[in-house]
Amino acid sequence: MEIKNIITTIFLGVVLAPVALAQQVEVKAAYDKACAICHMTGNGGAPRLGDPAAWKEPVSGGLGRLYKSALEGTPKGMPAKGGVDGRSLTDNEVRAVVDFMVDKVRDVLKDAPETASSMATAKPLAPINFNFNRMLRQTAKRNLAPADDGIHDPANDGTALLQPPLQGMAELVRSNFGNNTDWVVSLESKKVTPRWERTNAMAEGIVMDLNIVRVPKGSMPNVVFPHKQHTEWLECSNCHPAIFIPQKGANQISMPLIMLGQKCGVCHGKVAFPVSQCAKCHSQKKELPPKVVGKL
Amino acid sequence: MTTEKRKLKVLSKLWLLMLAIGMTLVAPMARGEYGDVVLNKQAEKEGMRPVIFPHWFHRLRFTCNVCHNENGFKMRAGSNDITMADIVDGKFCGMCHNNEIAWGLEYCHRCHSGLNGLAGGFYGSQAPGTGPQPMDALQKRRH
Repeated sequence: MEIKNIITTIFLGVVLAPVALAQQVEVKAAYDKACAICHMTGNGGAPRLGDPAAWKEPVSGGLGRLYKSALEGTPKGMPAKGGVDGRSLTDNEVRAVVDFMVDKVRDVLKDAPETASSMATAKPLAPINFNFNRMLRQTAKRNLAPADDGIHDPANDGTALLQPPLQGMAELVRSNFGNNTDWVVSLESKKVTPRWERTNAMAEGIVMDLNIVRVPKGSMPNVVFPHKQHTEWLECSNCHPAIFIPQKGANQISMPLIMLGQKCGVCHGKVAFPVSQCAKCHSQKKELPPKVVGKL
Repeated sequence: MTTEKRKLKVLSKLWLLMLAIGMTLVAPMARGEYGDVVLNKQAEKEGMRPVIFPHWFHRLRFTCNVCHNENGFKMRAGSNDITMADIVDGKFCGMCHNNEIAWGLEYCHRCHSGLNGLAGGFYGSQAPGTGPQPMDALQKRRH
């Protein structure tokens, strides 16, 4: 009897050990493929493999929560099944990878409960920045290289790899506003040839040649809105109906609204030419003095 | 004579002090290129530098249509909640930054390149020395 038991044990050991090892190898391969890009480096705040401090919070909710996070993703940044590369994994394979990762920090898990804990709570949204975006003065220096522009970190190794604006826009038609580049004229003269579609270099948008004239109060020249120059860059749905209701007389537009980043100010004053270029929009001279309506 | 000299010395010191204060006030603040957007809803909280998105660089290569229509970026600043999870999943930036159309996600520091502490929003479009402000700050100042 005893000898039989020993033989069975040895037999099982010999047969099953390679199976277990093979499984381990597969799990490691799945980890390398789908998880390592973040969990090896700590990208995006991912807990690093084998770093007990980083895993303390994730494992505090137990394995159940970890499985759920790995399978469904988290608002913190974990993509479901690790993203594109992990989509082909089955749920059980994902769980096995979680086990593999947790196994590296076994000591931390020791005191954690086994069951899934609290539901993921919805994060409140950050307040939207709402700038007064008029630009009446040019800053003294324009088109500074990333390392000198005051917002890039010069100590960051990636900053040095970024193309300096002056180099990128050297061939374009220069102006004295915005990027110091006249994008519309540059496009018309084919100095810049941006793609209309992401993957199709030959695709062209539908250009709509229709001017809309708006008559502002007082002596300010009329605004001529050219659909043509806008549809060369944009699609109808970029502006309609969220920003402008496509119906005559339906939109209340004023300079204060624009300067607060609404209506035209969604782009003008931020990326499209700034509102300091009054005459670019207010371009049609008023021909008649304002009529007096009704009897005095 | 000596008192006058002393006065002059004090005055010159005062001028130096004022000059120093003036310099710090005039000192260049966050500028950026016209159209630069800082994204910092998640980045710094998660231990990465804020992301700087240069509109000019992308405009050279793509029309607004590509990102604001195909890639799903809403037009209004602050209305897109972008996470690395989405990007890895092939959404938003990940529509192009996938090593097929543009360089992939292994180059973290090309995007996460901003100075820590930058508020999200547009840069390069304000009068010199003013950065983006949250709406509540704007309202407080008005009242």
